[in-house]
Amino acid sequence: MTAATATKQALLQRLDGLHQIPTIPAVLAPLLRYLQQPVEQLDVQKVTDLLSQDKSLAEQCLQMANSPLFGRAQNVQSLRGAVVSLAFHHVSDIAMSCGVLNMLPSDKASLDPVVFWEHSLGCALVSRQIARKINFGDPGKAYLAGLLHDLGIIVNLWVLPKEFRAAWEMGKGEGIPLHEAEQKSMGFTHCDSGRLLGERWALAPELIEVISYHHAPEKSAEHTGLVALVQLADLLCRMSGLNYGYVEERQVNLAEESGFGLLAQHSTALKDFDWARLTF
Amino acid sequence: MTTAPSLRSVPTMDGPPEPELVRIRDVIYQTAGIFHPDNKLRLLQDRCGRRMKELKVQTLREYSECLTIRPTRQAELIALLNEITIGETSFFRNQPQLDALRRIVIPKILEAKSNLPLRRLRIWSAGCSTGEEPYTLRMLMLEELNVQLKDWSTEILATDLNERSLAHAEEAVYGSYSTRNLTPSYRNKYFIPQGDKLQVNALARSNISFSRLNLSDDSRMTFMKSMDAIFCCNVLIYFDLASKRRVIQHFFNNLLPHGYLFLGHSESLFGVNDDFRLVHLPGATAYVKGERTPAGGKSL
Repeated sequence: MTAATATKQALLQRLDGLHQIPTIPAVLAPLLRYLQQPVEQLDVQKVTDLLSQDKSLAEQCLQMANSPLFGRAQNVQSLRGAVVSLAFHHVSDIAMSCGVLNMLPSDKASLDPVVFWEHSLGCALVSRQIARKINFGDPGKAYLAGLLHDLGIIVNLWVLPKEFRAAWEMGKGEGIPLHEAEQKSMGFTHCDSGRLLGERWALAPELIEVISYHHAPEKSAEHTGLVALVQLADLLCRMSGLNYGYVEERQVNLAEESGFGLLAQHSTALKDFDWARLTF
Repeated sequence: MTTAPSLRSVPTMDGPPEPELVRIRDVIYQTAGIFHPDNKLRLLQDRCGRRMKELKVQTLREYSECLTIRPTRQAELIALLNEITIGETSFFRNQPQLDALRRIVIPKILEAKSNLPLRRLRIWSAGCSTGEEPYTLRMLMLEELNVQLKDWSTEILATDLNERSLAHAEEAVYGSYSTRNLTPSYRNKYFIPQGDKLQVNALARSNISFSRLNLSDDSRMTFMKSMDAIFCCNVLIYFDLASKRRVIQHFFNNLLPHGYLFLGHSESLFGVNDDFRLVHLPGATAYVKGERTPAGGKSL
């Protein structure tokens, strides 16, 4: 057995007996299910009640509702106010964003969890913005896909911290993309470990595809457009400073990435998109 | 306090634009490709006002004649262009762009030129204003002299339309504002104190040639050949689409096949030119020539 296969085996075993990865905060699952209904049927009080069950999450949502990221001009004082002013889809975006933050370990030995979270949030926002600009499907779905695309990194941070640290240090030292460093040093990438967790959590099929193939969208079968969109948003974030805590020493031509051609098949508006000046 | 008499006759921008101001706008556009849309006419009016005060000219009509009929019209046109194109800049203004040049772009250029007998690098600072950008580039080249650029000669061409800016650049004396981003190491290595200001030293002033160039002068643009990289930051914002397209096409022709074009932070060639390819570098973007490949077919 090669070293790489051995590590992959170890990952699978550890994931099997895994108890330390925090699950999606208990309140999120019912909240997300509730928010999937047509917006006319939603009740502000019900959403507020669901969120209030998790005090720390409610507090984080309120904080984020007041942040410039979500375009608040006025100060929001109450959770109900936040729910009303942000509209329902923003509430689910924020709740999931806080959920990801809560899933992260506090150990900063390798990739700083806050830096990682900023990358995930950045990718979520950029994915949503691209989706809006090129009229691609549901921007809320693009946000969620961008937010969760690197779920496998959370797995690696919890399950194989030492091995992941070595991979991250290799990436940093050589200035190469993290997934290439993971493949070289561990024999698998966060796409593989993310897929395992995504399947265990029974995430939506399109999210599992994004998690599994965002570095190779040509391999995705059903949801190629969304996977391609997240690949490009992820690259844009990494090249613009929202990276994994180190600079990738390379030049990227988005138009030559596999995702570009694939996304172009799904949206004719892509040709009217200015990649040099992605504006919000 | 009363308004200066020379300015009193300048009309406000309420209502239709003054025909004389429109005429001056057309002269500027025809000469330099710089177009002032209606919402920027107030700025042009202000710049004309400064010249009118200097010349003690009372009306825009009279000033328009200074630009078109009088024997000194050529000199006055240059003086007005000097007022219009005053740039705001500083040393090491865009650090990610400079890091990308040093760590990614220069190695790629050197690799592309590795089989050529002439080991020379030519960089053009187009719209160099008061010189901070070309001197910054020169300092970076000097830092690489014994590393990547061993056995290579480097040449920096710095051009601007504004004669006053060029005179400042050649004098190379700068105040605290434009030197605010200098690290102590660069300050000690490449500057000499001049009272409370700093002058670029002889080493960092070597191998740079400054000259006046109008980017809309097609015949002179044709001769700016064999460039490895062109920096044209925050200059094209003054140009209208047609002039911008012409200038960019010249840049495309002026660059060697592996050449790079750098624009200002918020500038884009989207809708201006399809020949250049956009590339993302860490914290910066640039445009490259090189062959086009179909979408999705990686060539790098």
